[in-house]
Amino acid sequence: MVRWIPDSQRDEEEMLRAIGLTTSDELYSDVPRKARIGRLGIGTAQEEGEAVRAVDKILDRNRPFSRFANFLGGRFATRYFPAAVDSILQRSEFYTSYTPYQAEASQGMLQALFEFQSLWVELTGLDVANASLYDGATASGEALLLARRVHEGRRFLVPASLPWEERSVLSNYATGPGLTVVEIPFEERTGLIDLGRIAEEVRTGDVFGVLADVPNGFGHLDDHLFELRSTVGDLPLIVRADPLALTVLEPPAHYGADIVVGEGQSFGIPPSYGGPGVGLFACRKDFVRLSPGRIVGATHDKDGRRAYALTLQTREQHIRRSRATSNICTNESLIALAFVVYASVVGPRGLAELQRGLAERARTIASALAGLDGLRSPRFEAPYLSDFTIELTRGTASEFLERLRKRGVLGGVPLRDPRPGAPDQPERILVSATETVDDKAIAKLVSAASSALASTGGSK
Amino acid sequence: MTFRQARWDEPPIWELSASAPTGRAPSISGVPDRWTRKEALRWPELSELEVLRHYTRLSQMNFGIETVTYPLGSCTMKYNPRVSEVIARRKTATELHPEQPVETVQGALEIIWRLERMLSRITGMPEISLQPAAGAHGEYSALLMIRAYFRDKGELGQRTEVLLPDTAHGTNPASATMAGFTTRELPSKSGCVDVDALRAAVSDTTACFMLTNPNTAGLFESDILEIAETVHRAGGMLYYDGANLNAILGITHPGKMGFDVAHLNLHKTFATPHGGGGPGAGVLAANATLAPYLPIPRVVKSGRKFRLDYDRPKSIGKVRSGPGNFGLDLRAFVFALIHGEEGLTHVARRAVLNSNYVAARLGKRLPRPFRPLVKHEFLLSGEPLLSRGVRTLDLAKRLLDEGVHAPTVYFPTIVPEALMVELPETESRRALDEYVAAFERALDDTDEHLRAAPTATSVSRIDEVECARHPLLSWKDLRADGLPPGGASDGRKP
Repeated sequence: MVRWIPDSQRDEEEMLRAIGLTTSDELYSDVPRKARIGRLGIGTAQEEGEAVRAVDKILDRNRPFSRFANFLGGRFATRYFPAAVDSILQRSEFYTSYTPYQAEASQGMLQALFEFQSLWVELTGLDVANASLYDGATASGEALLLARRVHEGRRFLVPASLPWEERSVLSNYATGPGLTVVEIPFEERTGLIDLGRIAEEVRTGDVFGVLADVPNGFGHLDDHLFELRSTVGDLPLIVRADPLALTVLEPPAHYGADIVVGEGQSFGIPPSYGGPGVGLFACRKDFVRLSPGRIVGATHDKDGRRAYALTLQTREQHIRRSRATSNICTNESLIALAFVVYASVVGPRGLAELQRGLAERARTIASALAGLDGLRSPRFEAPYLSDFTIELTRGTASEFLERLRKRGVLGGVPLRDPRPGAPDQPERILVSATETVDDKAIAKLVSAASSALASTGGSK
Repeated sequence: MTFRQARWDEPPIWELSASAPTGRAPSISGVPDRWTRKEALRWPELSELEVLRHYTRLSQMNFGIETVTYPLGSCTMKYNPRVSEVIARRKTATELHPEQPVETVQGALEIIWRLERMLSRITGMPEISLQPAAGAHGEYSALLMIRAYFRDKGELGQRTEVLLPDTAHGTNPASATMAGFTTRELPSKSGCVDVDALRAAVSDTTACFMLTNPNTAGLFESDILEIAETVHRAGGMLYYDGANLNAILGITHPGKMGFDVAHLNLHKTFATPHGGGGPGAGVLAANATLAPYLPIPRVVKSGRKFRLDYDRPKSIGKVRSGPGNFGLDLRAFVFALIHGEEGLTHVARRAVLNSNYVAARLGKRLPRPFRPLVKHEFLLSGEPLLSRGVRTLDLAKRLLDEGVHAPTVYFPTIVPEALMVELPETESRRALDEYVAAFERALDDTDEHLRAAPTATSVSRIDEVECARHPLLSWKDLRADGLPPGGASDGRKP
């Protein structure tokens, strides 16, 4: 008997009697016989200790990235997070609570979310942030839909350097309203978005929005962003930005962004094989009533005390139903909490220094790899922060990364669309610097890469 | 009445420190000056202890399941086992990047694969995807699959309508709209689907009928097999909103009831924490017809090894980054493993017993619409209070003063002044009796006290209408508004 279900059989019998029944089968007299099932066949109950041993045995087949010289990063961060962050997440008042509909009993989470919104506003330079969406990719999808609400057109422009899974997610968000996601090619030497192509597209008059990312899918900073606003005129401009990068970079609102989205996992929680993370979303004030997601507002209680509540709810599914601005209900509150706790523990100076340090380390890695025959490091001539792209001139990225793994190195994220039938792709890898990358790890990477390339014959 | 919530008058975090960086952000070699932040990030510099104290105080101003009974209808606020929290924090679970080589994540893939097999049996659907981040995200993904299916069949131009009962969760019609369908809500009859009305509504324009069973009135749709036949005869798909699966574990399942595709909320039925509004996990379950459309990648087992399969030409592709909320999948796996077959069936029976036990007692005090036998949750109507000048909202706020969470209120809309109460299996009989007593005390209190409630929470009644009329949505707005520093002392009335 699982101890999470309380009381004895006798209690249950008394409760049944109290409602005029004798067996628990009678609780299901409304389920037709033809709809009943037999056994599920999922196995018998396990004691807690037994289950823990069984699950640990499975988990032990994983090799955590911390056991490698690790250069994985990109959209999911493998950085270190202070223990204080998780200790707050483990407060059961936070993690077991529901969406704070009953504001008076949920001031803690509401205030924390208000602080979270404020932080994303400060980072982006925009006016309003919501209380979170699922992740960076779905936040981009919601931004696409918001752009369509404020501007006519059927075409949405994105850089071709955007990771394939984000392009796939965006295509899904575009499908319902019959919109098209158009990939704008990049300049071969720099990886920067082709402004001329954007201008051409805009001239067709059928474009309703443009998305660019900071850093871009190759890890680089796209200088053309500063010209994007004047190129696209009054079209909604969406920037997907990395929160740590924004601690040292100009806020995207300063170069014309109307909506800024991002992934916040890099502020406070480990990647856990891809989730949960948290989708960040901010926009101009005049877009807010058309925007998706929960929003917390500051107000006062009837005794004049500062208080917080979910607000502008008439946009939302539980009120507006089929005419809601989004279907989102459960979002990522707890991870939003992690985001603001992390930023506050590390502090604004600490964050900027962290980003600066990682950028320095990335330069050391790039130069160390640049000396090797068989790859170009970095592949693109453009500024970058913690991540940059290398390209192999012989062999495949998957073989190369596999050889590195066998030598205790996770060399980076392969930049390829894994779907069969995807067009031929150059052998590119996104390499990232984290706090755990020291000189020894870099030496290990260089030595493993050098021997992997040496054993790969011929040029591609 | 002895309950008192913590009342810290805790200021917003930026008021805790006068120290914030000024001037430019540090410049970085190789990064052109135009990129560099000219004004450093405006956020307070605090010690770790100051930050911890701030958020610990905030936590003390928040109801949670380990502090109070939380009978929020449709949300299944059951105990979130601590052991799941411990397991989900193992380095062997957290320190995994989704782009690691599959050889290094065999354990994660095995957990996903085994949880999918378990959920396949629990739902009676052959294939499962753990990718969606929450229930509404699962709904939306399923509707995209239905869309792709009808496109392949050449019927997308004609099958443009999604039907749903007027008791459906708001996410259902919202998801349908996002997926490009029009929606039509059908009036219920005695709280359930009116099969005649459904027969009259379905046609060759019907893409899908969305249903939760038991429904949001807490009633089991006993005509479910006829409903399924009606929808299928018209060539439509039947969608199962799994928000209320807790009531029927091991008794029936979507497959047996004739559903084609379903979503489940691991954060309801499988006890993963709600996190103050997420993270969730919205599992997709599909029958053989729709399974080819599930998101990629799929986890497959070849021999003793697990791998990711992207070769699904009919798949809708990705609905988010990464394979899913693995941290939540792992918690749900632990929950299912510890319960096993008998445990899960007991979960359902006990949740339904709890609900009926409290419904019978509170039904003596407030009207209960529809038939008496309910499943995991039940409805009450606060309509008789209106003659006292008291609304359901007042009762909900007054319950907070008893140290219990309020029910879901004003939903479903077919019941005037609705209260929707759900008491999951982890509430003891003693807790239920105390809940009934608290509810009765609230009802028996004076009209004035009810309207003045809450008074024992960290703040008193908030005027949410005023909050929406004059939205202050961030620190930036507070600065622009010229409000004095927050806290009780500022004395400003709404």
